[in-house]
Amino acid sequence: MAPRMRLKLRTVFVLYFLVSVMGLLYALMQLGQRCDCAEHDQPYERTISRLRGELHKLQENMKKSEPTAPTIYVITPTYARLVQKAELTRLSHTLLHVPQLHWILVEDALQKSTLVSNLLRTSGLSYTHLHMPTAAQRKLHEGDPNWLKARGVEQRNEGLRWLREDRRAAAGGGGEQGVVYFADDDNTYSLQLFQEMRNTLKVSVWPVGLVGAMKYESPLVQGGKVIGFHTGWKPSRPFPMDMAGFAVSLRLILAKPDACFDADAPIGFLEGSFLQKLVTMDELEPRADDCTKVLVWHTRTEKPKMSTEKAMQAQGLGSDPTWEV
Amino acid sequence: MPKRRDIVAIVLIVLPWTLLITVWHQNAITPLLTARKGTSCTGFNVALDCSSQRGIVEVTRTEYVYSRPHPGLMFFPPPRGHPTYSRPVQKAELTRLANTLLHVSNLHWILVEDAPKRTKLVSHFLQETGLNYTHLNVETPRNYKVRGDTRDPRIPRGTIQRNLALRWLRETLNVNSSQPGVVYFADDDNTYSLELFDEVRHECVGMACSLCGGLRYESPKVNTLGKVFGWKTVFDPHRPFAIDMAGFAVNLRLVLSKPQAYFKLRGVKGGYQESSLLKELVTLGDLEPKAANCTKILVWHTRTEKPVLVNEGKKGFTDVNVEI
Repeated sequence: MAPRMRLKLRTVFVLYFLVSVMGLLYALMQLGQRCDCAEHDQPYERTISRLRGELHKLQENMKKSEPTAPTIYVITPTYARLVQKAELTRLSHTLLHVPQLHWILVEDALQKSTLVSNLLRTSGLSYTHLHMPTAAQRKLHEGDPNWLKARGVEQRNEGLRWLREDRRAAAGGGGEQGVVYFADDDNTYSLQLFQEMRNTLKVSVWPVGLVGAMKYESPLVQGGKVIGFHTGWKPSRPFPMDMAGFAVSLRLILAKPDACFDADAPIGFLEGSFLQKLVTMDELEPRADDCTKVLVWHTRTEKPKMSTEKAMQAQGLGSDPTWEV
Repeated sequence: MPKRRDIVAIVLIVLPWTLLITVWHQNAITPLLTARKGTSCTGFNVALDCSSQRGIVEVTRTEYVYSRPHPGLMFFPPPRGHPTYSRPVQKAELTRLANTLLHVSNLHWILVEDAPKRTKLVSHFLQETGLNYTHLNVETPRNYKVRGDTRDPRIPRGTIQRNLALRWLRETLNVNSSQPGVVYFADDDNTYSLELFDEVRHECVGMACSLCGGLRYESPKVNTLGKVFGWKTVFDPHRPFAIDMAGFAVNLRLVLSKPQAYFKLRGVKGGYQESSLLKELVTLGDLEPKAANCTKILVWHTRTEKPVLVNEGKKGFTDVNVEI
């Protein structure tokens, strides 16, 4: 009995040993297959960075699933020039992040262009495409400085007209929930700005960076109320603000159907000509931490130099004009 | 004798298990286990995670977009030594570039500041964006800084910063890693369409760039066989690679496998900076045209005007503590 038992035990042991060695080898082989993860030095930063990205995405999804949030109507005048497509492209990238947004793009043209139509169609945004040419006497000529004549007036008014018509046609009281913002196509907007403006009762205001030949212009706030304006040029104007520095509630726009931009207003008084018909200064709602943060910048894009193009065209070697730039 | 044999036996029983448990314990992050369960690695958007397991087909493509602020503008001579006057439009530019990059999946942004140390503005900004990023910095030495006209094409800008990013990539990533990726050099004032990133993702090397070189667009010339044979540009079209920084992207593996390829710093004529890198990586025949054989414009070399700040006056009018 004893020798047989020992034999059996030894066999069992040998089998066990073999199995465990094979298991170990298998595991080692599996580990050997792993890619050489040289990033062991920065795993935490990467994890944090990834988690932030996921958090950001979840926040965006949360916002998107709020159908009762007021819609932001962005009215943008635009005109054909070399950088137009580039400007509208990057503006659309910003707007795509904002939920419940409707883009009203008004071309300064006699008819809608294919460039803008195609861009809007492929942008993925909810939009309305309008057009309204600027009156001949108000058009800037080649070589005129930008500040000579007010620009975009007819286009913004056309945007307002369409909006009023559209909202009147929309049935129900819910059609009055919304905010209207005038966004030029060459400015830069942070995503936080749209959050700040969404719940506007009448007119909300905030600082604008790089405008008025200053680092920023801003309303001055005390006790939650606007008491004045920080600007370097004619601060005695009724509303010395830039177009990008305020948003108006849709309800107010519909309640005052005659409020429009005055094309004959002197330079710098355009915004005031509109706001004067809507609110008084103490009714303004300050945003961006009581107007202490810059969330929008009045950037301007250089006119690209075309000297070489002109020279090439004179030789008949210009760029292919059928290409859309 | 039996005692020794017993001990040997016990050791031989325990040893494999000890080793096994130790090794598995060390690899506590075990995609190995999840892989065995059959879930794919798509959750791991982070670069370099071990998605190339045996049997897993899912490959996480990662694209490295390297961006830097204009060094020329960073060193605009500060009047009266105002440190905050360095570059007013920087935050605006980075904001809108980030808004575009946020739409691109599997992207890692390598931002290199031309500064002696990383600024709070950029660090804070990067944290808030929610993008995958790496924040580096290296200061251009004084004798290379642009003086006077910041748009002087004779002096290459951003070279040291781009080279630092290349070095970081090579130090961080293993050349033998099967992780695919693409490296693209993106200046922060250009405009990029989302289609560009789709095109670039598939191991692109050559594209068309708009609004460059005083023309409506510059582009590689592509023959009927789909090969690049020349350059449609006016400024020195006989350069080995007459292309703008925004007009090409490089396969990551190529970057890693040629560790000596960098942008040349000294003795580079204006417009030759791109060539100084590309000629160490590829030949003209290796270029792969994108954007419908280089007939579509997907990127624009826009430039932002320097803001006029005359109303700030000599002493500064606005609160310096407000970040713009």
